[in-house]
Amino acid sequence: MIGTLLATGLVVVGAGSILSFAPRSFRVGLVVQAVGVALVGLSGLAVFVSGDELGASFTNELEPRLGVDPTSGYFLFVLGIVAAPAVVFATRYLAPTTTGRVIGGLTGVFLLVLALVLCARDPLTFLAAWELMTLVPAAIILVGRHDREARSSVYVYIGLTHLMGAGTWIAVLLLADAGAFGGGSSLETGSSTQIAIAVAALVGMGTKAGLVPLHTWLPRAHPIAPAHVSALMSGVMIKMAIYGLVRVLVEWLGELPAWYGVVVLVVGGASAVIGVVYAIFQHELKRLLAFHSIENVGIIVLGLGACLLLHARGADEWAGVALAAALLHTLNHAVFKGLLFLGAGAFEKVAGSLEIDRLGGLLQRMPWTGGAFLVGAMAIAGLPPLNGFASEWLTLQSLLAVPANGGVAEGLAGALALAALAATAALAVLCFVKVVGLVLLGRPRRSRIEEAVEMPVPMRGAAAFLALACVVLGVVPGLLAGPLAGLAPWPTDDAAGVAVDVPWDDSLPSPGIFLVLLVGSGLLAAARGRRRAAPAPSWACGQVVGPELQWTSAGFTKPLRLVLEAVLRPTRDVTRSVRGGVLQEVRYEGHVPHLFDTHLNRPITRAGLWAASRARRVQSGSLTAYVAYLVALVIVLLAAVRTGAIG
Amino acid sequence: MSGASAAAAAVQLVGGLALAPLLPGLVQHWKARLQGRRGPSPLQPYRELARLWSRSSIDVEGTTLVYRLAPPVAAAALVAAVLLVPAAADAPELGVGHSLLALGGLLALARFTVCAAAWDTENGFALMGASRDLTISVFTEAALVLSLSVGALVAGTTDLTGVIAGTAGSDAWTSPGLALGAVGFALVVLAETGRQPIDNPDTHLELTMIHEGPVLEYGGRDLALLQWTASARHWVVLVLAAQVFVPHAKDVWLQLAILPLVLVVLCGALALVETLLAKMRILLAPRLLGIGAAAALLGVLSWLIETG
Repeated sequence: MIGTLLATGLVVVGAGSILSFAPRSFRVGLVVQAVGVALVGLSGLAVFVSGDELGASFTNELEPRLGVDPTSGYFLFVLGIVAAPAVVFATRYLAPTTTGRVIGGLTGVFLLVLALVLCARDPLTFLAAWELMTLVPAAIILVGRHDREARSSVYVYIGLTHLMGAGTWIAVLLLADAGAFGGGSSLETGSSTQIAIAVAALVGMGTKAGLVPLHTWLPRAHPIAPAHVSALMSGVMIKMAIYGLVRVLVEWLGELPAWYGVVVLVVGGASAVIGVVYAIFQHELKRLLAFHSIENVGIIVLGLGACLLLHARGADEWAGVALAAALLHTLNHAVFKGLLFLGAGAFEKVAGSLEIDRLGGLLQRMPWTGGAFLVGAMAIAGLPPLNGFASEWLTLQSLLAVPANGGVAEGLAGALALAALAATAALAVLCFVKVVGLVLLGRPRRSRIEEAVEMPVPMRGAAAFLALACVVLGVVPGLLAGPLAGLAPWPTDDAAGVAVDVPWDDSLPSPGIFLVLLVGSGLLAAARGRRRAAPAPSWACGQVVGPELQWTSAGFTKPLRLVLEAVLRPTRDVTRSVRGGVLQEVRYEGHVPHLFDTHLNRPITRAGLWAASRARRVQSGSLTAYVAYLVALVIVLLAAVRTGAIG
Repeated sequence: MSGASAAAAAVQLVGGLALAPLLPGLVQHWKARLQGRRGPSPLQPYRELARLWSRSSIDVEGTTLVYRLAPPVAAAALVAAVLLVPAAADAPELGVGHSLLALGGLLALARFTVCAAAWDTENGFALMGASRDLTISVFTEAALVLSLSVGALVAGTTDLTGVIAGTAGSDAWTSPGLALGAVGFALVVLAETGRQPIDNPDTHLELTMIHEGPVLEYGGRDLALLQWTASARHWVVLVLAAQVFVPHAKDVWLQLAILPLVLVVLCGALALVETLLAKMRILLAPRLLGIGAAAALLGVLSWLIETG
């Protein structure tokens, strides 16, 4: 029954995708896609809740097989809850031009590929879907934009995800070789095969997830995609890497050594802090949101690291809680990041660009989209009673459980990760106060926004649906958190309740907090009563607050920039033009460079190009030379076999 | 519900909701005495609240719902925080649980709403205060979570009633962990209550304001709510300091009886710190809080070594 529903959903998405290519059925096709992906999401949820396996189970053979189990089902639900509103949003967001139709059609292909990653049950299908998942959005970006900047960004995106993504191939093929694709054969803890697979998976899938320092493709590729595709990329695509990491590290590799858990914690903590710090200094809304994806993937990976570490220490019940924290944040991030990217797409429509200092006043003009965006911003900032708070609370709990379960070095790593996550949450508040202020509040900073009107119903409906999901998931996180702990391959406490419970007799009664906040602020607002006084202008020492007195993003983040100066190395450039001894103009330019680009990527790129120019010398173009190379290779191989080096 | 637990709930509700303004009042009063002035009576905050409540709030031109909702939402967040922080080990659950890791979220909610409202007013001074407050909060939050986790580790739970019970008596103080956590938490108290050397609550110069900055545009009942919010923040962090980071009795009745005394002493300590120290350069404040976080981290480490 559920299997039929899932298959129907996938077929409907495919049909919708084909319909979207045709000019007359473009919008219908997108709606059909949305219905299909909603069916896929619901059947995924049903599989997750029922705990059954459908279709084939995992195999190490290289023959195509498809199936679903509760873990796949949960991620299909993540796909459905973001993709359905995103595609509905696209019905109005995309114009039915040739470009729009091709993007709309390819969106459906992208959805199918994402579902294929989750349903693949053999190494070959998994790897094929994995590669397509990288290539399809690249194609969508290039259909939408042809300029040099977009081409170069896509080049970096594909180059980096393929070079580093080789880790995924190595991990999956080694797993298949060891007979552990899908679990089954228990690898010995600390064996070289196990460690090789674990490291390769972290590099390969970590690149796809956008973990520091392999993240530099993410803030380039995500912002240039169409808004609904950005939502899918940030909300769902990078979560496929989390899916892969959960499968490999938690389910298939058996028990990993504790030091590996510490490595994962360090990578997660670094991604969280570095992602949010750079997000704060971005000037383009979608690029800023892309950096926040790095932050949130870091938070998810912190949960994963705590899970591995706690499992290694034998605290299995806690390890289940940590896994639930990671998976819950995966869903929550998908929901609020999808919402924020859709909001950004709507704002781009009315404002023309997303330069953050040139927006403003959008809440008054677009109350639905703006209000939903505000909810999303509060959710990503981890504020109660919304969903980001619930999963960050659970992550904090599981990080605190790391020192509580012993081991001096591991415990210290856990405590540092705890501090990093607390600081990350506060930095996210700083960043989203800035975003809300500059985008939604105050007066418009550009004349085009004066005439801005609310978006059509499908667009604002999609945003409002996701905002509602932020609230609901924040009020009853326990319904998911309990069963999520049950996805761990070891016995855990997977009881579902409304509140979230943790093993040391503490719980987050989120409905109570929601009620106190709602009723409390309602009563206080009522007690405050109506205003008798007339509105007054803002106080600026008697000056009129004109546009030139408005604050900018750079001004608001200056204290943090100064505090972190030694780390961030911001540049500033002041030029004065003086004519006839009289100062005419002072130009100030400040910039926070992305040090991973300048200090890591650029030297590597340069070295790569240098090596390529050397390698080019052997490429003479003459056929005899290539035959000679082949003969030489065969001789070397034969010699190696003869001496026993290989074979 | 036992008698002690009912008493704890009563102390928590009456103290947190009604008596909280007394705490900043006491600090002001003693600070003036220490400086050789007569100063206002400890009841001054109540007089101010009464005066402000009798006046209407004022809207700033061009503001939205964000500006109007910020005071009630911030105050509601602190109401939830008051309900969350128990006055003694036996305090009953008041609907919001006792999780110490949820406290940071509630304080952050109050901060978010008020700072977002500063953007709504477009007031440069308000934004200056907001940006400083948020910058410092990054370090405060890390120190807060780390120092509270020392208490949680010693007690073996993150439930605050359990933490109070677990850190009671003299056993918890035989090792340096909790004392190092207390150093970290002391700096958190200074930052969260907006005291010198991090912030100066008495300043009337907009350029130097941190916590007072974002609320500049508010008046009347709005300002009354925000001032109550600030005093509730005093209550929350000082009660935590008194019941976790100051040696306290195991008996619940004794805990409740001594609490007012400890709170008064802590207010005196705040007044003394305010008198002895000048406000530090704003960019140095993160360093000070960083030292607090490092002390708390050392506390965790010493606990780990001891139990490891």
